[in-house]
Amino acid sequence: MLKLIILMLCFFTTLIQADSSESKQPVLLAPGYGPLTFEAPEAGTYSQPIYGEATNGKVINSAGTPQNLFDLMGDKVVLLSFIYATCNDVNGCPLSTAVFHKIKRRLSKAGLKDDLRLITLSFNPKHDTPDVMADYAKSLETEQTDWRFLTTQSQHELQPILEGYNQSIQLEYDDEGQSTGTFSHTLRVYLIDTNKKIRKIYSVGFLHPDILINDVKTLTLE
Amino acid sequence: MSNKSFFQALKKSAKGAMLGSTAIMALGLVALPQQAIADETCMSPYMAKIVGQEDYVYVWTLGAVGVGDEQDKLVTVAANPKDKQYGKVINSISVGGRNEAHHSGFTDDRKYLWAGGLDTNKIFIFDVHTNPSKPTLHKTINNFVADSGGVVGPHTTYAMPGTMMVSGLSNNKDNGGRTALVEYTNAGDFVATHWMPTDGDLNGAKKSGKFADGYGYDVRVLPRRNMMVTSSFTGWNNYMMDFGKLVGDAEAMKRFGNTVVIWDLHTRQPKKVLDVPGAPLEIRCAWGASNNYCFTTTALTSKLWLIYEDDQNEWQAKIVGDIGDASKIPLPVDISISSDDQTLWVNTFMDGKTRQFDISNPHAAKQVFEQKIGEQINMISSSWDGKRLYYSSSLLANWDKKGESQDQYIRAFDWDGKKLTPTFQLDFVKLGLGFPHQMRFGSNALYGKAPTQSAEKIIASLSK
Repeated sequence: MLKLIILMLCFFTTLIQADSSESKQPVLLAPGYGPLTFEAPEAGTYSQPIYGEATNGKVINSAGTPQNLFDLMGDKVVLLSFIYATCNDVNGCPLSTAVFHKIKRRLSKAGLKDDLRLITLSFNPKHDTPDVMADYAKSLETEQTDWRFLTTQSQHELQPILEGYNQSIQLEYDDEGQSTGTFSHTLRVYLIDTNKKIRKIYSVGFLHPDILINDVKTLTLE
Repeated sequence: MSNKSFFQALKKSAKGAMLGSTAIMALGLVALPQQAIADETCMSPYMAKIVGQEDYVYVWTLGAVGVGDEQDKLVTVAANPKDKQYGKVINSISVGGRNEAHHSGFTDDRKYLWAGGLDTNKIFIFDVHTNPSKPTLHKTINNFVADSGGVVGPHTTYAMPGTMMVSGLSNNKDNGGRTALVEYTNAGDFVATHWMPTDGDLNGAKKSGKFADGYGYDVRVLPRRNMMVTSSFTGWNNYMMDFGKLVGDAEAMKRFGNTVVIWDLHTRQPKKVLDVPGAPLEIRCAWGASNNYCFTTTALTSKLWLIYEDDQNEWQAKIVGDIGDASKIPLPVDISISSDDQTLWVNTFMDGKTRQFDISNPHAAKQVFEQKIGEQINMISSSWDGKRLYYSSSLLANWDKKGESQDQYIRAFDWDGKKLTPTFQLDFVKLGLGFPHQMRFGSNALYGKAPTQSAEKIIASLSK
């Protein structure tokens, strides 16, 4: 009987809970759902070092068309998020999608409509087919926005992408050793410049639209 | 998700969280989930955590002349009472030579343990996820000084999202205390150097008192306040000097840090330099979401300091307690805050004692317990529930006690809130290992491995 309770991104989110009594404990919503509790650093007043090269890979868009990930980088700043559609951790994948949605609504006002591309890429190709990703996108009303919903053909094509971005995911198992169909993962969102360099890696604590918008603006001011 | 919108799903998944949030606030616990985070309470908030029983303790150990292979090594101790090997050394991996092994820390995904050498400036990256009971050396960073532009003495290795923040102790120009934070990707690629502010280059920081020495030691963060905080020790010239000689060298004794620096965590810019004279060392920040403060102790003046945000959102520092008899220089070393922010363990190297302080009022700490653990003591690691404590003995190769006072150990205890009950101990010299320093916890369950099925279950599932 597994008694350990393992919590990833401990400030805000519980990603593995093996003890049912503990799993009923309330989880507070991440900062990205509400107002920021401090003033976001002003755009252009700080530098953003290079955290490495972005990684290419074979993906499929929500219309079912194969693409290279690099086809969607280079012309605009990119915010890249890894999710799976059935994720039910409010402070996990839904957080990154909710923050992207808030950014989407503020792009024009922020003067970034032509400068930023949002990419949501599934790490569960078995379930998240192009149709599922299209459905996922539907309620987000993304028609007027450059927000792409991608998946991959197979785990084989996904794996090099995950490794390239050091995005760790693990299938969760029950006490009988059976897959629960859920994943534990460290929530990460990547800010990628037009030279295909990673300029910031966000986790739950700083995944807030105020911060991300100012970071994108800072890149466009370089 | 095919037949329901993202927002319907989000609403459903958020419902419990929102209700939970309300319930906590009604209790006056605005804090983020205090019951649900961390193991050793000094770990990075960005990191995967164990809150149950740890399976292993990884001990970053100094090699010592005449002890075993005389090399620095990562020693693995079985720490789960259910393990047949409980309390025994089950693995040891030597890294080649002595590097002044000191601190260690996991990456945020907890797959790798970074362990620094203060003398050779090497950083050893151990794979602890492939087989948690048998870590392997994955990579060695040999170019720390060149990468960083002259930083010496990689000390704290602290997890950030996708990166590691390494605090330096010194520099290669004068081997003094002027130093920096150095950031690497989890893969071990250099990212940036963030120099400590000095009188000559405050780099935008506000000097609030007499000092801006540019020294470094520990680093911690409070993401909810966009705050990073660093403390200050001394340079290579001092930490590699024989302790007796150092204490007798009046000029050398002047070259210790007197500052704590508050940084903008997101931009890595220094914001304010606080006077904390007497070599402030380990920093431990409170976990409660409304508890915007951290503690540190000063090695030379034996004081407990509170670093706190005041009513005007200004960061301040003040003394909130005495640690032993300062005139005897007990030398406070490691500290450990409890998960509920109510108590703080403080170890004092010279008298070998562990002390517990009541910090329920962080502005007026009060000692409530003390016990001698050994002839000398340095680090402490606590389980999340505070019921299991592990102590180690070594401070620095040239500062540790010698001769009859040599006492190099790992000692484990159960803590019931009133007394320490020994569970196991290991004599690292008799075992031919060396001088034990930092301890970190490991767990099999961290890595999402499917539990092994019994043969009967496998056969049963095949027949379905």
